[in-house]
Amino acid sequence: MRALQIAATGMAAQQTRVETISNNLANMSTTGYNARRAEFADLHYEQRARAGTVNASDGTVLPTGVQLGLGVRPAAVSMHLAQGSLSATGADLDVAIDGNGYLEITLPSGASAYTRDGGLKRTGEGLIVTSDGYPVSPEIVIPSDARSISINGDGEVYAYFIDTSEAQLLGQFTLSGFTNAKGLEALGSNLFSETEASGPSLISTPGTNGLGTLRQGYLEDSSVDAVREVTELIEAQRGYEMNAKVISAADQMMSATTQIR
Amino acid sequence: MDNTGYTTITRQSGLMREMQVVANNIANAATTGFREEGVIFSEYVMAIRDGPSLSMGQGNVGKTSYMQGTLAQTGGTFDFAVEGDGYFLIETPQGERLTRNGAFSPNANGDLVTMDGFRVLDAGGAPVFIPPGSGSIAVSSDGTLSADGNLVGQLGLVAPTEPLNMIREDGVMFRADDGYDPAENARVLQGFVENSNVNAVSQLARMIEVQRAYEMGQSFLESEDKRVRSALETLTK
Repeated sequence: MRALQIAATGMAAQQTRVETISNNLANMSTTGYNARRAEFADLHYEQRARAGTVNASDGTVLPTGVQLGLGVRPAAVSMHLAQGSLSATGADLDVAIDGNGYLEITLPSGASAYTRDGGLKRTGEGLIVTSDGYPVSPEIVIPSDARSISINGDGEVYAYFIDTSEAQLLGQFTLSGFTNAKGLEALGSNLFSETEASGPSLISTPGTNGLGTLRQGYLEDSSVDAVREVTELIEAQRGYEMNAKVISAADQMMSATTQIR
Repeated sequence: MDNTGYTTITRQSGLMREMQVVANNIANAATTGFREEGVIFSEYVMAIRDGPSLSMGQGNVGKTSYMQGTLAQTGGTFDFAVEGDGYFLIETPQGERLTRNGAFSPNANGDLVTMDGFRVLDAGGAPVFIPPGSGSIAVSSDGTLSADGNLVGQLGLVAPTEPLNMIREDGVMFRADDGYDPAENARVLQGFVENSNVNAVSQLARMIEVQRAYEMGQSFLESEDKRVRSALETLTK
């Protein structure tokens, strides 16, 4: 009785959907988070009677045949790349990316990671780092006697000092773009690493080559749409229940089978 | 020959098959671009040597519902839905395939691919290429892709020459052995994907119907079994 296994694949698929939704809702307030969406595809088909099979000696062919599907599989959990709204924080090291692109981070291993979380901090030495303490690449050091700093849309970081009216250019942030940003591998902690699927990072100054610009004093909110997620959750739950119903119906059919002597 | 038993069994195995189809429909109620399946029972008439003919019910014909599924807004740049009678053309190692699942994305080389990594083809059968670093992509209703106002390609929209002869394959794909023509009554929408066209309510209703019909068949077999037993008992007394 295949209906049992088919319904089980359906339940597993809906469970994947619920897990994706719950992760989205849990990250409703995560800076720079992009909602994920579970995508499904049907499994292969058992060709019971092939369409076009000759059915009679006069050449009559079966118009459609019988193809029995064997269930569903999760095909992808893809990131929905959408700009989150920007919320003003006023902090001088909060930078939001308005448009495409990622900030490049150097992990302790020396490898690069990418993030849209622009809630940056500075270390005791003045180095600009992420909340987890990983330095932003290219490295920019803020002098300890700097009165204030300003970051413009192109990513240039200027420091102002008490004794001089002229701003000093400390460095410039770059952004990394990807041909297929959906192919980035999520590492957790708002970090991503490049993969075969994403392609190599294309580093440019903000505002060029299709990349976004930087906004100082803002953070990018999570792009999770709570209403959509809750609607999807209801759908997923009902889908799960329906598949469970199929299992119990198939079970009753089996018990009817075993009852005849 | 126990014709009663055989006639019932053809029906029962057909119902079992239909249950499998219903289970598959419900399992795929959330599969983008999925097309609902159904089973049609046909009469199979058999001649008996002495007496009238015997007809059996065979569930041997499949049918696919090509009804338009509802559109779900995703807002994704590379999420496309077809409205009307048309399919996207994709290239698999086994040949060209048709699909209604338009959740695409560019791969590392800039080719537009499906979730399974198969390349999407344009109307002329060439892969659709999205130049890396091109800004926002817009799609017109005939499938023309443009990046910041510059033409970059066109999604192929085709319709099978013989819709009834399409063979389903896994990954929400169809194989059209009889070829395809450019689709005339189809348009592309960006930022939407087409939901599965499975009608969950009617499928559940059909499921209950199938289950009860099956149970009825079994109880019929049971009473037939009793009848034969009692006949034997009476005769052998």
